[in-house]
Amino acid sequence: MNPITPFRVRIKFAKLENLRFIGHLDLQRLFERALNRTGLPLRYTQGFSPKVRINIASALPLGFVSSAEVLDFWLNAPVDLQEIQASLQAALPKDLQILDIQEIPNKAPSLQASVLSSEYAIVFPIIYAQDDINAKLRNILAQETIPVERRGKIVDIKPMITTHAFYEEGDSTILHLQMDSSATSNVRPDELLKLLGIDPADVIIERTNLIFEE
Amino acid sequence: MTLIDKKLLNKILYHVEKPGRYVGGEHNMVLKDWHSVDTRVALAFPDIYDLGQANLGLSILYELINDRPDLLAERVFSPWHDMETAMREKNIPLFSLESKTPIKDFDILGITLPYESIYTNVLNLLDLSGIPIRSTQRNTNHPLVIAGGQACFNPEPMADFIDAFAIGDGEELIFEIIHAYQEWESQNSDKKTLLKKLAEISGVYVPSLYEVEYFDDGRIKRVFPVTDDVPNIILKRISPALPPPIKKQIVPNIQIVHDRIAVEIMRGCTRGCRFCHAGIVNRPVRQRNPEDILEAIELGIKATGYEDLSLLSLSSSDHTQILDITKAVYEQNKSRRLSVSLPSLRIESFSVDLMDELKDLRPGGGFTIAPEAATDRMRAVINKPLDDEILFETVETIFSHGWLNLKMYYMIGLPGERMEDVEAILDTARKVQKIGRRLHGNRIRVHVSIGTFIPKPHTPFQWANSEDPESVQKKIDFLREGMRQSKIKLSYNRPDSTLLEAWLSRGDRRLGQVIEQAWQNGAKFDAWDEGFQKDFWYKAFDETGIKPDFYINRLRDLDEVFPWDHISTGVSKDFLLEEYEMSQRGETRYDCRKGCHVCGILDCFSDIRPNQNNTYWGCP
Repeated sequence: MNPITPFRVRIKFAKLENLRFIGHLDLQRLFERALNRTGLPLRYTQGFSPKVRINIASALPLGFVSSAEVLDFWLNAPVDLQEIQASLQAALPKDLQILDIQEIPNKAPSLQASVLSSEYAIVFPIIYAQDDINAKLRNILAQETIPVERRGKIVDIKPMITTHAFYEEGDSTILHLQMDSSATSNVRPDELLKLLGIDPADVIIERTNLIFEE
Repeated sequence: MTLIDKKLLNKILYHVEKPGRYVGGEHNMVLKDWHSVDTRVALAFPDIYDLGQANLGLSILYELINDRPDLLAERVFSPWHDMETAMREKNIPLFSLESKTPIKDFDILGITLPYESIYTNVLNLLDLSGIPIRSTQRNTNHPLVIAGGQACFNPEPMADFIDAFAIGDGEELIFEIIHAYQEWESQNSDKKTLLKKLAEISGVYVPSLYEVEYFDDGRIKRVFPVTDDVPNIILKRISPALPPPIKKQIVPNIQIVHDRIAVEIMRGCTRGCRFCHAGIVNRPVRQRNPEDILEAIELGIKATGYEDLSLLSLSSSDHTQILDITKAVYEQNKSRRLSVSLPSLRIESFSVDLMDELKDLRPGGGFTIAPEAATDRMRAVINKPLDDEILFETVETIFSHGWLNLKMYYMIGLPGERMEDVEAILDTARKVQKIGRRLHGNRIRVHVSIGTFIPKPHTPFQWANSEDPESVQKKIDFLREGMRQSKIKLSYNRPDSTLLEAWLSRGDRRLGQVIEQAWQNGAKFDAWDEGFQKDFWYKAFDETGIKPDFYINRLRDLDEVFPWDHISTGVSKDFLLEEYEMSQRGETRYDCRKGCHVCGILDCFSDIRPNQNNTYWGCP
């Protein structure tokens, strides 16, 4: 038992450019080392080989950018939040940007357990005519079920898609999606893109929000 | 200069395995303004990022060059097969990780050649960069292509492809090369002038300024310079003292091999094992003092956030202050979560004591020892004496101090080896296993790793030949069966990939055609088990009419001129010959710190030997 009440910190961060090609496990390791570099009084996991205790809300698929990733870590003593932000930001590669920081009650539920859904903005370059995608998408969503194959099993993703909307921004068409990201129900936007016949590599997929259980 | 089209690049990165290999953006990466410097150097390690980024030499040069305000260095590695295919399909030339600038736009391309099986990757790397592979095809519009690293002590097989080789320690040499480049650039002169200028630098070998004359039977008659003012013999360069440790080691975003802080505690080795290339070419021994090691560790931890540290040397036990170092490292880090590995320990109980000093900083894994040979006779031949009694006593200590996994390195195919010497490896492994089981039952694991001997250039065994692969395979089969019965883990190299390493390490200039042809046939990633395909090579030998056996099957005449004789490690050929003859008589030689055997190194470098007490050289 550690007698000190842990100081739990939550950051929201953006994952940009080069770092979009770094996977979840690598990102976890990257944060462990970055936190080590800060010299903050980090709290470690219990067990045989203790690690810096961090908790990333939801794995972001390789290749996606994000302005909405959320991570918790724990300290052994309270530290000024601005100070934490400054020292952690200095220890991070420039394509990881801290957007927000707050203290969280130690007893708050774990991030992974409380993630419900994600919002995405999918930016289509000009070559994709909006009407065409719109029509295709409408057809797909009008289906009774939207079956996709996952590791040999057929899964219906229709109930996992909450909302969708198109809008224009400059030369680009943007598809806004809200879809499930919880432990029990999870769908990736590129699964939908494949049904539209679109190579996810041709568009920019950005996670713009993570929605948690209140 | 045009940057790579980012959109196109992102598109292909989306579909390749481990795209993190190609994007850079790591903590401690240095990205300078391209136009703020005079000279731009691309540092290449011609294998994938996962291996190359761990290379210490590359990291040292990267930091040293980037510390200079007038220079920049960026990194480049070989793309894996999937990435190469995508790049060729989309016409994306090879680019640097930092600024994503095509390699062909750099002023200098410095290629690390740490081992020979990387040679076809060098050609592929040049080709992917849009740079002609042969030196003669390149002009002043192309980067100057230089190479350094341990394989360069026999540069001849790569002579057609590299403009200039940096022989020996590169820490000072690199700046002299860059300086010569800058002077030449300001004169607006031709490439030949640049090459001649480079050849005047001590330790630089420009192969195009030398010619080789052969006897009718194919042996070399002589190698000679074809122009004035270049030396007949190129003596390697050494750094009189170890360079300062790396201040800002790059922390990779993806997992790589040796993913940890590396602190070089000693360069060189005084043991004199007769098969060991590194032991000869890295003479003299220079060690870092404990205070500097501790400072390097402190800097390393703060700059990287790593929780693993490796203290590097060819023989950790031989650092004269190793006990003080381990004690101090423990004191320094006892309140941290740090795991400290201390590789290359001598086989004696003291090594276990050293590890014990690290207490809970000791890494989990296993204990590794390298007896290399299992009979007294073979140990005398290779000059690595060891009493079985001491071996078993050490093993007993290792197991009784809580290690459950023991790895042992042995070699087969050594000169004069008999089947009984191979049998003794199995016998020893079984005895070792028995000791472990007596102490811990079936929880212990013994792992035997077998390397096949290659008669490396510049070693006392350079006159020896390679054992033929069939006979090596028989020995491996014997060991495999025996170890299997005893449930001892065995790992070994494929005899045919050993063959490749032997050809390439012993080759002469003519082998360049074979390397080029093999690469044309499809050879690359030869260092990888799944990459190496011997057919590409046999076909290349066939197509060029060059006989592979010529390079490795002959026992050499004692007066034969070797392809690498004009490259000097500072150790004299006379000394090597004396060693070779002693080996045939089964005579050993004591550690040269106890008394100088006059290998030649002091004669070559006594004028730069530091006289301060804190820069220790192993030589008496």
